[in-house]
Amino acid sequence: MGGTHILREFRFRLNGEEVSVKAPPAYTLLEVLRHVMHITGTKDGCSSGDCGACTVLLDGRAVHSCLTLIAQVEGREVITVEGVGENIPAAFAEEGAVQCGYCTPGLVTASAALLKQNPKPTVDEIKEALRGNLCRCTGYVKIIKAVQRASGGV
Amino acid sequence: MTAELRWVGKNVARRDAFEKATGSAKFASDMFPENLLYVFTLRSKYPHAIIRRIDVSKAVKMPGVVGVYTHRDIPNNRFGVFHKDRPVLCDDRVRYIGDPVALVAAESREEGQEALDAIEVVYEPLPVVTDPVKAMAPSTIKIHDHGNICRQTRITRGNVEEGLSKSYAVVENTYRTPAQIHAYLETEAGISYIDEQGRITVVAGGQSPYRDHHEIVSTLNLPPEKVRVITPHVGGAFGGKDDISVQIHLALVTMKTGRPARLVWTREESTISGPKRHPSIVKMRTGASRDGVLLANDVEIIYDTGAYAGLGPAVLDVAIENCNGPYKIPNIDIKAWLVYTNNHFASAFRGFGAPQVLFAMEQQMDQLAEKLGLDPIEFRLRNALRRGDVAVFGNKLETSVGIVQCLEKARQHPLWRERKTAKQERTPPWIRRGVGVAAAIKGYTLGALPDKGRVALELRMDGGFTVKGSFTEIGQGVVQAIAQLAAELLHTSLDKIEVVFADTGRTPDTSVTSASRQMFLAGNALKDAVAKMVDRMKSAAKILLRREVQSLMLSEEHIITDTGERLDYRVVASVLEESGLGREVVGEFEVPRVDPIPGSLEIPHLFYMFGVALAAVEVNTLTGAVNVTHIVNIADVGKVVNPQTLTGQLEGAAAQAAGYALFEDAKIEDGFLKTTNLSTYLIPSIKDVGVIEAVPVEDYEEAGPLGAKGIGEIGFIPVAPAIANAVYNAVGVRPLTLPMTPERVYWLIKRRI
Amino acid sequence: MLALGDVEVYSPRTVREALEILRRRAGSLRVIAGGTDLVVQLRTGAVRWRELLNIYGLDELRYIKYVDGEVKIGALTDFTTIHESPIVRSTAPVLAQAAFEIGSYQIMNKASIGGNIVNASPAADSLPALYVLEAVLKLENLDGYRMVPVREFYKGYKKLDMGPDELLTEVSYRALGDGWVGEFFKHGLRRGDAIAVVNGAVLLKWNGVERVVEDARVALGAVAPTVVRAVECEKMLRGSSLDERTIRECSEAVLTSISPIDDVRGSAAYRREMCVNYVYMTLWSLARRLGM
Repeated sequence: MGGTHILREFRFRLNGEEVSVKAPPAYTLLEVLRHVMHITGTKDGCSSGDCGACTVLLDGRAVHSCLTLIAQVEGREVITVEGVGENIPAAFAEEGAVQCGYCTPGLVTASAALLKQNPKPTVDEIKEALRGNLCRCTGYVKIIKAVQRASGGV
Repeated sequence: MTAELRWVGKNVARRDAFEKATGSAKFASDMFPENLLYVFTLRSKYPHAIIRRIDVSKAVKMPGVVGVYTHRDIPNNRFGVFHKDRPVLCDDRVRYIGDPVALVAAESREEGQEALDAIEVVYEPLPVVTDPVKAMAPSTIKIHDHGNICRQTRITRGNVEEGLSKSYAVVENTYRTPAQIHAYLETEAGISYIDEQGRITVVAGGQSPYRDHHEIVSTLNLPPEKVRVITPHVGGAFGGKDDISVQIHLALVTMKTGRPARLVWTREESTISGPKRHPSIVKMRTGASRDGVLLANDVEIIYDTGAYAGLGPAVLDVAIENCNGPYKIPNIDIKAWLVYTNNHFASAFRGFGAPQVLFAMEQQMDQLAEKLGLDPIEFRLRNALRRGDVAVFGNKLETSVGIVQCLEKARQHPLWRERKTAKQERTPPWIRRGVGVAAAIKGYTLGALPDKGRVALELRMDGGFTVKGSFTEIGQGVVQAIAQLAAELLHTSLDKIEVVFADTGRTPDTSVTSASRQMFLAGNALKDAVAKMVDRMKSAAKILLRREVQSLMLSEEHIITDTGERLDYRVVASVLEESGLGREVVGEFEVPRVDPIPGSLEIPHLFYMFGVALAAVEVNTLTGAVNVTHIVNIADVGKVVNPQTLTGQLEGAAAQAAGYALFEDAKIEDGFLKTTNLSTYLIPSIKDVGVIEAVPVEDYEEAGPLGAKGIGEIGFIPVAPAIANAVYNAVGVRPLTLPMTPERVYWLIKRRI
Repeated sequence: MLALGDVEVYSPRTVREALEILRRRAGSLRVIAGGTDLVVQLRTGAVRWRELLNIYGLDELRYIKYVDGEVKIGALTDFTTIHESPIVRSTAPVLAQAAFEIGSYQIMNKASIGGNIVNASPAADSLPALYVLEAVLKLENLDGYRMVPVREFYKGYKKLDMGPDELLTEVSYRALGDGWVGEFFKHGLRRGDAIAVVNGAVLLKWNGVERVVEDARVALGAVAPTVVRAVECEKMLRGSSLDERTIRECSEAVLTSISPIDDVRGSAAYRREMCVNYVYMTLWSLARRLGM
C-alpha cells in the first residue's frame, strides 16, 4: 500500500484464532478482510448497510462488516462465513437456495446468528432475522426452507 | 420418451452451491492478483454536454499514479452490437450522467481517488433531453448525428380499423413503465493481467466472453489470439451484464502498463452507469367481438433507450413480437419507436422488452373481459394460441405451445377458485383484497437472427468426460443443467462429468447467455457432440478390435460394441490419445433459419415460452400499500431438467417482478438519477414476498434437448400485470403506470372517490 | 466509496479519556459510536472528517437501569438490547417497538441510541418514542454534565444544543405508570427495512372507569425539520372517549403541527395524508385494545 496511510496493528480473534493485522484504523472490517487479508468469503454488495452481503458475527451478533471500523474490532471476536461450519451451507446447497451465490455467505452468517439464539425458529422469525439480507435471484422461498432444514425441522 | 431418465428431471443439488455457500467460490470481485493496479473511472458531471477539454496533466504526476487514460488512448473508440454508437471513453460529448470520461490506474485506492479529483474536464452543457416524445421532434437537439430516433418500424396485418369497428368492446389506454435497475448483488467487476502465454486476460462478470473478446479486440486494435476473456461465477446479471462494462477498460490498463488491474464498480456507479430496462409508453386500442373473440389490436410503442442503443433494437423487436399476448388476433397495427434521450443507458433485462407490453396487453384483456361479462381466464382461453395455429404475424406455430395448459392450471388453482370468498374478508376495515391473473409469451433463442453455438466434449484419460462451452454461470444453474444432461446422454454417472465454462482460451463459442437460450442451444450442441463422440469411439474400437464396429452403446464405465465387447473408457481414451485421433469433439447446433418479416430484425421465433401468473393482494386503502400475499407462477418449460433450479428461477423471477410492479422506482430528474443506492432504490426483501408457488407445466419440445425449453425469462413477464389486475379487483382502480407505489395507488383510490 | 486510509481514529477506553480527547481536539474530530450512519456518510464523502473519536469501546455507557421510577439507558446501548430489555418492555413498550423498526438486526445490533439521537435525522425512529416519553438527555464534558429534555435538544434541522466538547452519555425517562397504552408507527415504502416516510408514536392515558382519555402524547417524525408533538391533536384527545368521530377529527388535527417536504421518498402532500391516516389507524387500534 502506498500513499499517506495511517497504519496500526489490530488484534482480534478471527474464526477462533488470534490474528494481528496492520491496517488504517478507518478501514472497515470488510475492507480489511477482503483488501488486506484477502479473505473473500464475506462479500461487498453495497458498502452502505443496505444489503447484508457483508454480514459477520461480532461478539456473536450479526453486524454489517461494511459499517464496522477495524478500530472497533480490536480485542473482539469475529466469525465470518469461513468459520460458521458446514451445517448451514450444506442446508442451503441441499435445498436449492443458492443461485448466483453472492448473497449466500451473508445469509449463512445471519442464519447462524439466528439459530444460535433460536434453534427452532418459525417462518416469521426467520423472515425477521433475515430481513436485512437482500437476494435478487431466489425469491427467498428456498432460503426459508434451508434455514428450517439447518435447524433440524422442516 | 418412455425410457426412465436417470438425471434429467432429478433434484440434484447444484455442484457450485456448497462452495458458494461457504464463501470459497471466487467471483471476479474476489480476485486480487499480485502487484495489481486499482482502476477508477471518472464519469460525466452532466447528462448532456460537449467536452471541450480533458486535462490530465496534474493527475498523471500525482503519487502512486501509474497511468491516466482518455479517448486519446483508444484506437477505435466506438462499439456496440447493433450500432457502434458507444465510446469506450467519451470524446466529443457525454450523453448520460454515468458516461465514462477517463480512467486512473494507481497503486492504492486512496491515490487513485485523489488523482480522479485532479482530472480537469471542461464541459459545455447542452440541453438535456428527458422526454422520449419530445426527443422525436425535429427541433430537439440531436443526441447522435443520425437523430434521436434510433429505430422506428411499423408492422401490420389485416385491417385494424375494420377490426375495431366490428368489435363489440373496445378498450383504449396509455400505459407507462419506468426504468428498472438490475441491482445484482455483485456489481460490475473484473481483473486483468498478462498470462503465461502473453495474452491480455480479462476475468470479469459478463454474459458472453466471446462477444466481450470481440469488443476488446476491435476497439483496442489487438490481435485476437493475444486476448483471452474468462467469465467466472457471476453474482447476478439478468441481462445487465450482457453489454460491455469493465472489460475494455481493464484490457486497456493492462495493455498500457503490462500490469494486473482490478476494477470493481461501487453500488452507486452500478446503479447510475449500468444499463436499465427500457422505460416505455405503450398505447393500445384493443377490440373484441361480443362472444369474446379478439378482433384487433392497434399498438404504439415508445421505448426510451437513453444515451446509446445497446441491445435496444432487439428489445424493440421483442416488444413488437409479444405485445399481442399469447393470442390469435387477425388484425394488428404496431408502430414502434426506439428513442435516444439523456436519461440513462437502457439495454437487456430479463424479459427483454416483453414485460412492458404485456403489462399493457394483459390489463387490456381484463378490461375487455369485464366489458363482455366474461371470466378473465375463460376469455383468455377462448383466444389462446394452440399448436398449429397461425400467430399474429402469419407465422404458423409448429413447436411446443403450452399456454392452454398454463391457463387451465391457473383456473383450477384454489387461489383462483376461491377468489370471491377471499375478497370478502375485511379486517381491519381499510384493507381490501383481490386476485388477478395474467398471461405471457416470449420467444427464446434469437429468432430470425442467426443463432448458433458450439460445445466441446472431451473424453478424459481418467474415463470421465468434460463438457466445454462459453455459456456463463450467472446464477441460473446452466452449468448444473448441462452436467445433468451430459450424464443422461452419455449414460454415465454425474460425478464423471466436469464442465468448463466461459473461457475464450478453453471453450468454444456457444454464443450469448441471454434470450433464455443456453439450455436449448448448448443442450442441442451437446447432443451433436455426443453423437460425434460415439463416432470417434467407434474409430477407437476399430483400432482396438481390428475390425469395423457398426454401432456401440454407452454405459457407465465402458462402451459396449454391437458384438458385446466391453471397452473401458480409459482404454478408449488412451487409444485416441496415442493414435492422434484426439479425445475431443466439437458439437454444433444452429437454430433453423427463418427470414425476418419485413420491418423486423428477429420476428418470428420458432420457439416460444408461455406462462401465467396468479397474484393475490391486500391493499391498504389508507396508505396505498399493496401487499402481495400469494403468487402462483405457472410456466410451460418443455421438460424440467433440475426441479430445484427450475422452481428457483420461477420463484426468483416472481420476486423480481413484484419489485418491478410495486417498489422499484428509479427516479430520474433532468437526467440525474435520484435513487442511487439500495436504500433509495428498493428491491424486495424477504418480508416483501408472501407465498410464491412455482408450477412448471411440461409441454414437451421435440426440438429441445430431451424436451427442454428456455426458462430464464418467462417467469418474470406475467407477474406485474397479474398484480395490477389484482389491485383492480381489490379496489376498482386501474394502475396504468408502474411502479404501483403506495403513493401512486393511494392517489388513484382517493381521486376515484 | 472512498477508502479512508488517511483518517485518524482515537479509541479511548474510558469516558474520561474520551472527554479529554474531545476537549483537546474539539471541532477537528467527529464522534463515532455504532457507526451505522456515520460510516456511510464518511465513505460517500457526504461528510469529510479527518479524525474520528471512536467511543464504541466505552462499555461503561452500555446499561439499562431502573432507579426510583426512572429508566436510565447508557448512550451506547444498542437497539437489540433495548428492544429485548424487560425493563424497557414493561416501562415503555413504545420504545421497544421503535427499537425494532430502526432497521435490520444487523443494524439493531450495532447502532446505538445515542448515535441515533445525535445523527438527528428527522426520520430517526427512536425519536418519536423518546418525545412521547418526554425523555431527558445527559450531556457531559470535562467540567460536568447537564440535562436537556429531548424536545429542547433540537433547534432545527440537524441543529443540536450540544457543545463541541460534549458527549451524550445517557438517555432517561420516567417510567409510565398504569393506565398508559401506546404504539409506535412507521410508514416505509416496503415491508422490509426502509427509511420512514412518516413515523410517530402515540401514548394515551386511559381512565378505565370513566372510559375517557386522561392524557395524550403524540409525536410525529419525518414531517418537519425536527420531530414534533402534535399539540392540537393531543388537546382534542384529552377527555375524549375514542369514538370513531373523535379519532377521525383528532387525526386531522395533526396537520397544524407538521410541515413536510417533497423528497425522493414521497411528496409533501402524501406525507400529510399519511400522517393523518397513521394516527387514525393507531388510535383505532388503541381503541380496540381498550375495548372501545
